[in-house]
Amino acid sequence: MLAERIARIQSTALSKIESAGKLEELEAVRVEALGRKGELALLSKELGKLAPEERAEAGKLLNAAKQALESRLEDRKRVFAAAALNLRLESEWLDLTLPAPGIRPGSLHPVTRIQREIEDLFTSLGFTVVDGPEVETEHYNFDALNIPPSHPARDMQDTFWLTDGHLLRTHTSPMQVRAMEKFGAPLRVIAPGRVFRNEEVDASHEHTFYQLEGMMIDRDVSVAHLIYFMKTLLSHVFRRDVTVRLRPGYFPFVEPGFELDGQCMICGGSGCPVCKQSGWLELLPCGLVHPNVLRSGGIDPEQWNGFAFGLGLTRLAMMRYKIDNIRLLLGGDLRFLTQF
Amino acid sequence: MKFSYRWLSELVEGLDTDPRELTRLITMKTAECEGVEHVATLLDQASPARVISVEPIGDSHNRRVVVETPAYGVRTLVCGAPNCRPGLMTVYVPVGRKVIEGVESDGMLASGKELGVNNDHEGIVELDPEFPFASDWIIEVDNKSLTHRPDLWGHLGMAREVAAITGRRVTDPVRMSLLPQGESAILVEIENYELCSRYSALLFENVTVRPSPLWLQYRLEAIGLNPINNIVDVTNFVLAELPQPMHAFDAAKLRGGKIIVRPARPGESVPALNGETYATDSSNLLICDAEGPVAIAGVIGGMESSISDSTTSIVLESANFNAASIRKTSTRLKLRTDASMRFEKSQDPLNTARGLARAVELLQQVSPGIRLVGGLVDNWRQAPAPPPVTLPLDWMDRKLGTELPADEVRRILESLHFTVKSKSDRVLSVAVPSWRATRDVSIKDDLVEEVGRMVGYASITPAPPQTPTVVPPGNPERVFEHRIRDLASAQGFTEVYNYSFFSDEMLKAFRMDADSLVEVANPIASDRRFLRNSLVPGIWKNIVDNVRHLDYFRFFEIGKEIHLRPGLPPEERPRFLAAIYSRQDATPALFELKRLAECLLKTVRVDMDAEPREFEHPRRVGLVRCGDSDVGRLFEFHPNLVETGRAAVLDLDLTMLQVLQPPVKPYQPLRRFPTSAFDLSVIVPPRSKAGDLHSVLAAAAGESLVEIDFLRTFALPDGSNSISYRITIGASEKTLSNEDVTAIREQLIAAVQARGWSIRG
Ligand SMILES: [Zn+2]
Repeated sequence: MLAERIARIQSTALSKIESAGKLEELEAVRVEALGRKGELALLSKELGKLAPEERAEAGKLLNAAKQALESRLEDRKRVFAAAALNLRLESEWLDLTLPAPGIRPGSLHPVTRIQREIEDLFTSLGFTVVDGPEVETEHYNFDALNIPPSHPARDMQDTFWLTDGHLLRTHTSPMQVRAMEKFGAPLRVIAPGRVFRNEEVDASHEHTFYQLEGMMIDRDVSVAHLIYFMKTLLSHVFRRDVTVRLRPGYFPFVEPGFELDGQCMICGGSGCPVCKQSGWLELLPCGLVHPNVLRSGGIDPEQWNGFAFGLGLTRLAMMRYKIDNIRLLLGGDLRFLTQF
Repeated sequence: MKFSYRWLSELVEGLDTDPRELTRLITMKTAECEGVEHVATLLDQASPARVISVEPIGDSHNRRVVVETPAYGVRTLVCGAPNCRPGLMTVYVPVGRKVIEGVESDGMLASGKELGVNNDHEGIVELDPEFPFASDWIIEVDNKSLTHRPDLWGHLGMAREVAAITGRRVTDPVRMSLLPQGESAILVEIENYELCSRYSALLFENVTVRPSPLWLQYRLEAIGLNPINNIVDVTNFVLAELPQPMHAFDAAKLRGGKIIVRPARPGESVPALNGETYATDSSNLLICDAEGPVAIAGVIGGMESSISDSTTSIVLESANFNAASIRKTSTRLKLRTDASMRFEKSQDPLNTARGLARAVELLQQVSPGIRLVGGLVDNWRQAPAPPPVTLPLDWMDRKLGTELPADEVRRILESLHFTVKSKSDRVLSVAVPSWRATRDVSIKDDLVEEVGRMVGYASITPAPPQTPTVVPPGNPERVFEHRIRDLASAQGFTEVYNYSFFSDEMLKAFRMDADSLVEVANPIASDRRFLRNSLVPGIWKNIVDNVRHLDYFRFFEIGKEIHLRPGLPPEERPRFLAAIYSRQDATPALFELKRLAECLLKTVRVDMDAEPREFEHPRRVGLVRCGDSDVGRLFEFHPNLVETGRAAVLDLDLTMLQVLQPPVKPYQPLRRFPTSAFDLSVIVPPRSKAGDLHSVLAAAAGESLVEIDFLRTFALPDGSNSISYRITIGASEKTLSNEDVTAIREQLIAAVQARGWSIRG
């Protein structure tokens, strides 16, 4: 009977599908059973010979058998594909601990790093970062800062004089007057830069180092404001609250002038060799801008006043990275510089 | 400047603050102390001793000595001092019990040096009756923090501060009544009162020159002044106390009974106390007698008129000299003395007579029988006292950022010897004491400091300012520099900072012409004489130094070239330099640097029309350009400079780099029609430049060009090169047909052939 033959073909094909070990065997089964010249195709040709009612019945059986086989074939194909994919993935194991090709990133100079942090802080506080010349005039470096030629304060700074009468700036303070001239009042600026002292060098003294000058001019700027900014600055740099103290310090361009000390970060104030047992580290000279300096910058001291401070960037970098020899900073030794 | 705690105690009534605490208070309120040292500590356990007997020990220079002391009774000890003799009053210290030369020695008799009383180690101390058996504490104050305080160069000045800090009274050691009245026996002429505003002097006779009593030697020794003889020691004592520098002349050596204060005349020189002879000029002020110079005013006395053992009469000078003039002289003669250091801070003219009064009292103690001859000489052109300073208290409150009651301000100022009057409820009129008025305090801002430091800045609460928020002016140059730093470091370059000077080594290696460099007038080392007008030598030095440790490295520097401009101030030009060193081969290094240049400025190219400089590899140097503008140079170091390995350098003008950054422009719409591409391989003669071929192809493709991509180049057996490009073309309004593409390709081939090159394959 036709129905039996269909059932037989189906069951034979199904068992071949189950036993197929690879994709090609499945394909062979498909061609044999479902192909244009396959067993089911041959059977379907015989349908014409049947009576119409039998033909409909047999057609249904034939279609059902086709669908069952096709569906099973698809299932089996998916299994084979998944296995093949797994095999491929398994073979593609990569050792990700191998170094990445190409060049390693370089480093920024420790002074650059600390300088940028401070620039970013002050920019966020409404300050402008200004740059100035390394070759200065006597006027900006001394006279305009209330340091006339006979002033003993000139001894504090051993100056590189140039043969044409210029000099290498001994501090970033000339930028106070230059900024006042350029921007007028009110004013908030910082001026980081390279400064020079004509001195003997050793592990803690360099003839070339970096400072950062800061200045704020407005109506009624007070010592209270100065302390606020200095505390903010130091907490930012040292990434923690820093206890500070202000004591008298003499600088001709400020009045009153201060030395701002921070509590020693090494010993926490109990005394150690770094702070010479005092518990304090001298961090920044600062003060209220001397009226003569405001006048030098073309600003009326009866209308405006301000504070100024000077930060030793080199010293700060040395403190942060515990650098014990200042000459490493401009020594160009890449074994040192690549550490930052 | 060293301060003796005992000396201060004599000047401050009832001072009992611990010396270490006092040191801290001085730092917080007056001037920075560098430390405090306990000195002459042996004296705390020492005792006066009378030598009872001295017996020899065999042939030894040591002798067995028995002494009697009030504190320790009778002691036997061994002593080698030649001046040890029965009956001598000396000092016994109960330290060092041991057997010497078979004798049990219990303690020691001390020399002045051992005790810290003077510098004498020849023998044991010969005690005089007034000697204090007590150690001292020496507080050392940073001289820099005393620059503006002429008064703090003496103990009395510091005593005034200590009294104000501790709420005590200060004792003035000067008794003006000791100054003699009547006609003076000497004549003083001052040529220029600007340079010497006051010259006071006294003549003494029946003088005995001998060592000072021990108490005086101890006082001077403790603060670092060497005891010399009683007369000189008294002048040094007054210098360290008031502080009034003085000078004692041997009156017998002064010619013509007259002193003239005047600028040096051409050719004059002064043989000084220290054995040197100083050639002076008209900027130096001299003290002269009727015949010539006897001292350099305010700096050093002359040799001939100095005090000697045979001196029997003296002229004691106590004068006030112009600070700037003294400073100039001391700088010119390279001679800084205890006197010049004080005068250059602007001393109080009132102190000249006070100094003499103090000296009279001391000289009577140390040179018994001394007699004054005549009255005080006092040649003085007194400057008018400066007007009182008006101090508005509300203004001061705003400056300090705290509110202070008027009474408190008044109390503080008066404790510092200012004379305070009320102008109105909240305005004071403040007269400055003479010793603060010479330079230190003249405006109301100076008074803010006086009040602030005494109140203590710790009492001020930090507060943010109440100011409007405004966007500050920008600094695009600095932002650009930082961007470049980030870019370079991301590309593997490490930042170096080099000095602004050329070392001798660099000058030599680069055969530089020193005349073209900015020069330092006062170099203290030969590696700091010339300023760099190029960053290249510094980079070279970095390479040479690092080659010793590393086989491959890359680094960069951003710094300023400083250029000499005749007749104009030196010009500073910011540069960016990057370098790659490789022990193997640096050909790719040059291209890595070229790529870095392209990262910094997309549109740069490298042209090969550079005139090679001596330190450059003549066949590996290019000019970095953008459009018509020069941006810098790309080169490899000449093997003469870098012997092993290769080092490539990119040297760019930072300003040009920024100026040439492409402007903001609207984007180009994406192509609507597909493009076509074809490859061309061109055979060119040796040393032809790919850049030239590129230009030819680009020009020939004209408007239809979308992209030219370099594929590869290689040398052919005959020495010519094959260079391959992939050319992408397209049109904005249509898809190119095969015929279009072929036509353009033919166009390109024709252009290549027109240059005499051929197409490969
Ligand atoms: Zn510490």
